[in-house]
Amino acid sequence: MDSTAARAKPLTVAIRTLRSSRWAQWGVVGGLLLAAAIFPLTYSGYWIRLLSGMFMYAALASSLNIMVGYTGYADFGNVVFFGVGAYTTAILMLKVGAPLPLAVLAGGALAALYAMLLGLPILRLRGHYFAIATIGVQEATRELVVNATSLTGGGAGLTLPIPDLTPQQFYRLIYYLMLGAMVLVVTVSGLIRRSRFGYGLRAIKADADAAEISGINTTWYKVAAWMTSAALSGIVGGIWAYWYSYIQPPDAFSGITGVKYFIMTLLGGAGTLVGPVVGAFVLELISETVWSRFITLHLGVLGTIIVLVVLFMPRGLVPMLREGFKPKAWWKEFQENWI
Amino acid sequence: MSPQVIVNGLLLGGLYAAVGVGFSLVWGVMNVINITHGSFLMLGAYVSYWLFRLYHVDPFLSLPAVMLLMFGLGYLLQRYIVNAVVKTGVFMTLIITYGMNLFFVNLALLLWKGDYRSVTPEYAGTGLQIGGLIIPYIRLVAAVLAVVLTLLLQLFLSRTRVGNAILATALNKNAAQLVGIPIGRIYAITYGIGAALAGAAGALMSAIYVITPFMGEPFIGKAFVVACLGGLGTATGAILGGVVLGLAETIGGAIVGPSYQEAISFIVLVLILIVRPEGIIGRRFFAEVK
Repeated sequence: MDSTAARAKPLTVAIRTLRSSRWAQWGVVGGLLLAAAIFPLTYSGYWIRLLSGMFMYAALASSLNIMVGYTGYADFGNVVFFGVGAYTTAILMLKVGAPLPLAVLAGGALAALYAMLLGLPILRLRGHYFAIATIGVQEATRELVVNATSLTGGGAGLTLPIPDLTPQQFYRLIYYLMLGAMVLVVTVSGLIRRSRFGYGLRAIKADADAAEISGINTTWYKVAAWMTSAALSGIVGGIWAYWYSYIQPPDAFSGITGVKYFIMTLLGGAGTLVGPVVGAFVLELISETVWSRFITLHLGVLGTIIVLVVLFMPRGLVPMLREGFKPKAWWKEFQENWI
Repeated sequence: MSPQVIVNGLLLGGLYAAVGVGFSLVWGVMNVINITHGSFLMLGAYVSYWLFRLYHVDPFLSLPAVMLLMFGLGYLLQRYIVNAVVKTGVFMTLIITYGMNLFFVNLALLLWKGDYRSVTPEYAGTGLQIGGLIIPYIRLVAAVLAVVLTLLLQLFLSRTRVGNAILATALNKNAAQLVGIPIGRIYAITYGIGAALAGAAGALMSAIYVITPFMGEPFIGKAFVVACLGGLGTATGAILGGVVLGLAETIGGAIVGPSYQEAISFIVLVLILIVRPEGIIGRRFFAEVK
C-alpha cells in the first residue's frame, strides 16, 4: 500500500492526509471559517448574497441530516419547521415588537414543540409511511397558515419591520447570522454524533427492534432527534424571514426548498458530519451558475446533474471521496449496481 | 350533505384511482417512489392535446396511442437509468426520479411554453341530469375508463405470464431471478406500465383540467395518498384509495370550505397511516419485505 501511496496523485494524497490527521482537519476547517469571517470586508453584493444562501442551505441540510442521516427517517416535510420558525419570528417581531434574536429563538422553540406534538403519533410509523406523513403535515400546515388570515396575513403574506441599516450593513448582518447558524447546526450535529444519544440514533437506524431490546427508549430518542432537527431548522427559518423581509406561505413552506436540501444532504453523504455542508455548497454553486447562464434550461440542467450524480456517486460525495479519488473503482461499482 | 357532493367525490375518486395505480404498482414492485409519475401524466395530457388539436382525435380515443408512447418512454428510462441505481435503495431512486421530473417539466416548458391549454370536444359542458343531480359526460367517462384501466391492470397481473413474473419479482426478487425471471426487464416493463397508466390518467384529465408543464406536480401528492390508502401494488386498493380520497376532499370541502381541501385529505392520510400503516386493504408483503 505504501509504495502506491508514494506514486499516488496529489488529490488522493490530500484526501488521505485529511482522513488520517485530526490536525489537518481542524486546520482546514479553521482556515475556511477565518476566510468566511473576513470575506465580507473585501467583497460585497452578489457574492455575499450567494454565500448567505449557501450557509443557509448548509445549515438546513445539516439539521435534516440528524433525522435522515443519523436516525434513518426520511423526513421529506422538514421544511414545515423552517416555515414555522419563519412565521413565528415574523409574527413576534410585527405584533409584539420582539427583538430579532428573541424572535428567532422563539421560532426554534415553537418548531421543536410542533415536532414533539407531531412526533408522538407520527414517529410510530416506519420507513416510507413516515416520509409521506411528513409531506402531509407540511401541506396541511401550509393550508392552515393560509387560512389563519388574522394571525398570518393569509395568502397576502407578512412584511417584516425594515431594519434601520444601510443595505451593505444589512447584508453583512445576514451573512454573519447565516454563517453563525451553519456553525451552530454543524456543531450540534457533531456533538450528537459523538454522544451516547447519537449512537442510540444510529442503532435505531440499523435496527429499531434491536435498539429497543438493548435498552434504548426508541420513541423518546426519535422524538428528541426530531425536535433538535426542528429547532435548528426553525432558527434558520427565522433568520430567513428577516432576510427576505416579506414572507408568504408558498415561500415559507416551499416543497421545492425542502426537496432541494434533502438532495443536498444525500449528495454530500447522509450520516456524515460534513457531507450535507459539502452537498449544499456544490449544489447551490451549480444551481447558481446554471441559473445565470441558461435561464430557460435551469430546471433541465439541474435535473440532469441530479441524475448523473446519483448514477455515479450513489453513496454521496464525502463517503466516496474519503476512499480517495478512484474513478475506476466507482465505474466498477456503477456496473455492479446495474440490474 | 347534498347527493351532488357524493357524486362529485366518486367521479373525482375514479380519476385519482387512475393517477395512483401506476405509482402504487411501481412502488410496490420495485420500492421506487416515482416522482417522474407527474411528468408522465403531464406528457400524456400533451400527447392527447396535440392529437386532438392536429388530427381531431377524441381525447378518450387517444388513450391507446398515449399509453403506448408512455410505455416506451418509461421502459427506456427504467432500463437505462433507474435500473442502475435501483439496488442502492429508496432514497437514491427517489432523487433520480425527481431529477428526471425536472428534466421533463423543463423540456415541456421549452417545447410548448407555459401557455394554458385545454382539450374541448363538442360534448364538453354537456351532461346527464337525473333529478337534481348533474353528471358531466366527460367526468363520467373519465372516471369509468379510469376504473376500467385499473381493473384491466389487475387482470393483467393475475392472468398473464408477464404479470405473474411482475408479482413474483415484487415478492422476492432473488427467488424470481433463480427461477429465470429477467428482473432487469421485468422492472423496465413494470415502470413502463406505470408510465402508461400515468399517461392515460393525463389524457383522461386533458378534457377536464388545464394543461400546463406543471400540471403533474399536485398529482404526485395525490398518487402518494392513494397508494398509501389502498395499500401498495394492488389495483383494487388504488380504486378504494382514490374513492376515499375523492370523497374526503369533496365532502370535507363542502363542510369546512374548499380552502381546506388539501389539509383535509392529508389529515385523513395521516390518520389512516397511524391506524393502519399497511393501507385500508393492503397486505404487508408488498414492498414491506426487503
